[in-house]
Amino acid sequence: MSEVTIEWYIALSVVLFTIGSLGVLLRRNAIIIFMSVEMMLNSANLAFVSFARYLGNLDGQVLVFFVITVAAAEVAVGLALIVAIFRTKKSISIDDLNLLKG
Amino acid sequence: MSIILSVLIFFPLVGVLLILIAGRKEGRDEAIKWIALGTSVITLLISVAVLIGFRNGFPGLQMVDRFDWIPFLNIQYFVGVDGISILMILLTAFISMIAILASWTAIDHQIKTYYILMLLLEIGMMGVFLAQDLFLFYIFWEFTLIPMYFLIGMWGGQERVYASIKFFLYTMAGSLLMLLAILYMGITNNSFSVPDLIAGRDAFASAQYVLFIGFAIAFAIKVPIFPFHSWLPDAHTQAPTAGSIVLAGVLLKMGTYGFIRFNLPLFPEASFDYAPAIAVLAIIGIIYGALVSFPQKDVKKLVAYSSISHLGFVMLGIFSLNAAGIEGGILQGVNHGLSTGALFFLVGVIYEQRHTREMSEFGGLWKVVPVFTALSLVVVLSSMGLPGLNGFVGEFSILLGSMGAYSLGGHPWIYTAFATTGVILAAVYLLWMFQNVFMGALKNPKNEKLRDVNKRELVIFIAFLIFIVWIGVQPSPYFNLMDSTVSTLVNDISATVLVGQ
Amino acid sequence: MTAYGLAPLLLIFPAIGFFFNALFGRRFVEADSKIGERWSGWIATLAALSAFGVALALFATLQANHFEAMVVPVADWIVIPAADFAVAWAMRVDTLSVTMMLVVTGVGSLIHIYAMGYMHGDKDFSRFFAYFNMFIFFMLILVSGSNYLVLFVGWEGVGLCSFLLISYWFTVEKDGKMVNADAGRKAFIVNRVGDFGMVLAIILIFWTFGSLGFERVFESAIEMTVHQETVHFGFFSAPIGAVITAIVALFLLGATGKSAQIPLYVWLPDAMAGPTPVSALIHAATMVTSGIYLLVRSNVLVELARVSFVEQGIGIFGVISAPDLIALVGASTALLAGLIAFTQFDIKKVLAYSTVSQLGFMIAAVGMGAYVAAMFHLITHAFFKALLFLGSGSVIHGMEHGHHHIHHAHSDDHPSDAEEFHDQEPDHFDPQDMRTMGGLRHKMKWTFWTYLIGALALAGIFPFAGFWSKDELLAHANVNHSNVFSAVYWMLTIAAFCTAFYMGRQLMMVFFGKPRHGAAEHAHESPRLMTVPLVILAVLTIIGGSMNLPNISFGGGAAADSHAVVEEGHGEEMVASSKGLTLALEHWLEESLLIFELSEEGGELAAYENYEYPHTPTTLVWVVAIISTLLALSGLLLAMFVVYRKRPLSATDPDPLQKLKPLWWFRILPLETLYMKTVVPAFKWLSDWLAFTVDWNFWHDFVHNNIIRDMFVSFSTFLADVFDKYGVDGTVNGIGSVTKGLAGVLRKTQTGYTRSYALGIFLGAVLLLAYFLWFAF
Repeated sequence: MSEVTIEWYIALSVVLFTIGSLGVLLRRNAIIIFMSVEMMLNSANLAFVSFARYLGNLDGQVLVFFVITVAAAEVAVGLALIVAIFRTKKSISIDDLNLLKG
Repeated sequence: MSIILSVLIFFPLVGVLLILIAGRKEGRDEAIKWIALGTSVITLLISVAVLIGFRNGFPGLQMVDRFDWIPFLNIQYFVGVDGISILMILLTAFISMIAILASWTAIDHQIKTYYILMLLLEIGMMGVFLAQDLFLFYIFWEFTLIPMYFLIGMWGGQERVYASIKFFLYTMAGSLLMLLAILYMGITNNSFSVPDLIAGRDAFASAQYVLFIGFAIAFAIKVPIFPFHSWLPDAHTQAPTAGSIVLAGVLLKMGTYGFIRFNLPLFPEASFDYAPAIAVLAIIGIIYGALVSFPQKDVKKLVAYSSISHLGFVMLGIFSLNAAGIEGGILQGVNHGLSTGALFFLVGVIYEQRHTREMSEFGGLWKVVPVFTALSLVVVLSSMGLPGLNGFVGEFSILLGSMGAYSLGGHPWIYTAFATTGVILAAVYLLWMFQNVFMGALKNPKNEKLRDVNKRELVIFIAFLIFIVWIGVQPSPYFNLMDSTVSTLVNDISATVLVGQ
Repeated sequence: MTAYGLAPLLLIFPAIGFFFNALFGRRFVEADSKIGERWSGWIATLAALSAFGVALALFATLQANHFEAMVVPVADWIVIPAADFAVAWAMRVDTLSVTMMLVVTGVGSLIHIYAMGYMHGDKDFSRFFAYFNMFIFFMLILVSGSNYLVLFVGWEGVGLCSFLLISYWFTVEKDGKMVNADAGRKAFIVNRVGDFGMVLAIILIFWTFGSLGFERVFESAIEMTVHQETVHFGFFSAPIGAVITAIVALFLLGATGKSAQIPLYVWLPDAMAGPTPVSALIHAATMVTSGIYLLVRSNVLVELARVSFVEQGIGIFGVISAPDLIALVGASTALLAGLIAFTQFDIKKVLAYSTVSQLGFMIAAVGMGAYVAAMFHLITHAFFKALLFLGSGSVIHGMEHGHHHIHHAHSDDHPSDAEEFHDQEPDHFDPQDMRTMGGLRHKMKWTFWTYLIGALALAGIFPFAGFWSKDELLAHANVNHSNVFSAVYWMLTIAAFCTAFYMGRQLMMVFFGKPRHGAAEHAHESPRLMTVPLVILAVLTIIGGSMNLPNISFGGGAAADSHAVVEEGHGEEMVASSKGLTLALEHWLEESLLIFELSEEGGELAAYENYEYPHTPTTLVWVVAIISTLLALSGLLLAMFVVYRKRPLSATDPDPLQKLKPLWWFRILPLETLYMKTVVPAFKWLSDWLAFTVDWNFWHDFVHNNIIRDMFVSFSTFLADVFDKYGVDGTVNGIGSVTKGLAGVLRKTQTGYTRSYALGIFLGAVLLLAYFLWFAF
């Protein structure tokens, strides 16, 4: 068993980030998109933690806490928005939300 | 350091807040009036406290409150009181209180807004007289315009909109040049505080003739000096009674105060050299104002024009550039506030009942309202400068000063002689007014039901009369208040100017 | 005994009386007519009497203290330390001021008593007495002030009272004009013209002498004149003589206003619109003499002006010395007013012009340096003119009652009130018109006899008071030799003849002959309250001359005439021995008149070569006395037994004098007409023109509305419609259409789909990363 080096973590983080971003770009269900965003955040968290360990200081870990907190808040606000949208539009497909169309 | 002056300036804000709270529900008009009155009374008491703490023999600024406000421009919050402003703040507090009391029944709509504006106006006026930083001064100066604009525009007479806009534009336009002058001086000297600028006035000495004019136009419009007076009859006639009282009582004094506070110490040579020209304008104002008052058919307009005449005296006194003239000028400012304020009030009392100010509508009121007539007579006599009442003391000191003025050349008596004709003319128009309103037979049946003064009006009249008589008989305490400051100012000017002569 | 400290009481009593009547009087009068009225009147009278008592105490104090003058400070007034200006409320008690106080309060008290009878039943009874006390108050300030400014307070104060009292019946309107109010206003304004001079003079005094106190001013004036100093203040400089001349001339202007001299006498005849006691007190006995008081008080300045003219030729326009001008003004007024009095039909107007004329005598006396004579005449005139006015009031009162008697209207009412009279009577019966009177000597015995005494005194008939005072004055003019003095002498002598003539005419028209109107037929004597003061004044008129009797030497008039001046020094010594018998007033007053000290031997002014103080002869000058007595007698007799012997028998007959056309021209009142045709319309036109044409139509409307506002509006319209549309708008619209086109392209990118925006964000992030990777590392 070879050592799990930093590269592995980075790779996993990249994979997760890519999956998340593709989810954001391609899916229409707002909740799915939302989950994808969470995934992207967590991929970033993973990268932070890995580098923190790699570099031997706690800065990254501290940032992760911030990100988690922000993510929690975002979830609360985001879900509330989705519920509100659902109430008015009876749909959570983001293609129905094109009021900004020029 | 002392915060009492800041408290004095901003205390009316407390009243404003209370009115806002009280005014959230309908039907609390009485409470609003009492709050406004209470606030103005407390402000008056604070100003009396300032008076008690004021040291007479000390020429400089007292009770200073000073800290950096906008540091990168060296603008400070800097307030202080000296002999020139002490009487003005007392006058402001007194007149504001009277004005609020005078609006008690005269104002019957949008009461909340009205009293808030009144209190805001008081803040602005106090600030003008106490600010010792030019930038701060300018802000207060412009600030007073806004409440006054609304007071005229919302509660005024028939042509209130025209009058209020004219008032606003006229004053505003004049102030712009002053702003330029202020910025120029502030930037050359890297400070806006008045004592610093006076100390460093050599830095802008070369430009002082231009700077003087920048300030002078702003103040001349406010005073108003002939020929910048055209806004005055409109504003005065259209404003509600209390507005006219404040306008005549305090706002006009901001102009004369500005000349003494800024023009004389900042630009002594320019003041000296321009003095004859300004004195000539002042004298034209004295005579012109008096002549123009005479044929007016509207009593309020007559009083308004008489202001031009009275303020001419004040200007003549100031530009005598000696102690008698300047002290007389300051005192005459106070006197004009009292007697003209009282005149506007008495016009207001009749107007409230008859809704007209045409002189021809009246006549023979003496038989109907004897007490009111007797009180009015004293006020008229005070305005006429009868010895023993306040107007005489001021006018006499001014004329005295003008005759001994270095600034008026080799024959200063010519100026004095022309100015003294104002004494004759004042009797002409005021007695004419008094006769046409109060004497003669009671011909107009509408006047038969006029009521005599009620308690509130009596209180206001007596408040005025106390000072009218007090200043007339014992003016020394008033002169003592300003004496050391003015004598320092005068010595400074003559030391600067007369050395070369 | 030193009671100088009592002086402030002099003012306090009338002040109390004033406040009482002003604050509570109306209630008294309204509540119960009889009791209230009496209270009101008696309190006022008591106030005046108390002041008289104080004046007597001060008189006694002066006697006991060798006439020593004293300044009683009351309080500070205007103090401006930085300007070295300090004026105090202070009273000066000296023989001159006490003389005036006695006259004011003494005659004043009598007139108060009289007024209680005269004003009985008036609706504003208490207002009248409030004014009366206020007048006494201010008049006492005037005469007791120890400096010019306090004097000026009284000066203006009495002017105010005069205004209020003249327009006392302010509701009266004739032909739509408020005649009484107009008269009051006219008095005030004309007086203010005089005050113009006063204010300037006072200011000039301060800058010249550094003080306003009488003593300081006179001392430094003498000092400066002796050293011929130059006056400096500001950049102004002038020789002291010129400044003093200017001051005296300005004082003269003030005096012409207050004492009704040419050119400002025009207010006094109109002032007769006031109730008769007012005419007696204010417009005959006291207020109108304040101009004379002022000049007598300033005797030092007047004489120094004479000195400057004689010694240095400094006069008014270099032509005439200030005192000579005063003398000429006085004399010509005396003459002119005497002539105008010929043509009057109103009983009070005759007396009014007579007052103007007599004041002219006094002013002339001051101008000639006869200060004591001026004061002497002032006092005697106060007695007999008050007497005459009160007598005329009694006549008017009687006529009104007679008139009411005929009409049986308001038989229980006593309207002394002209106002009621005009309200009720459409037939324009004028109770003051002498043509409606006649024969009153039988109806009103007390009034007639007292009136006769007054008239004889005024005419200058021996031995009444008027004879002595007028004679002293004429003698002074006669014995001092200069052109001006001779002119003044002759003018005054003719004026004295006129006086006798118009008084004879008046006596004849009022008291003799047959009644020419029903009212005169039913007139009856006035109440006791009115006749008692008449009698007291008549007694004073008879004995008043003894105040200042000259020494009578029978050595022959001519000698006394030609040597009077030379003998003066000896005369003085001779008289000193017989002090108390003759020239009492002179000895009393000379304590206050600094000029006596100065011009005597060893005095500063005696040192001048050309100047000589024009002394009054101390002995009777027979020539003068005989001429004036003869003229007076002939005037009286001429009027009574020649011209008016065949007097008009009905009220409508023309006056016999009307045949004398030139004389009758004076009826059109020369100066009055001039002013009404020039000054007044000019003033009205100018102020109208300035107010409506210049200020409103031109400056307010044309310049501000038409030029400034309209130019602004048209400029902004130009900007909006032309410049903006084609210039600015062109540019802006160009930008607009370009933007629009671009936007049309760019809007296509706005799909509205979240994911396309997200893609944008991602691409942007990638690009940024790429940029940083590429360039940063």
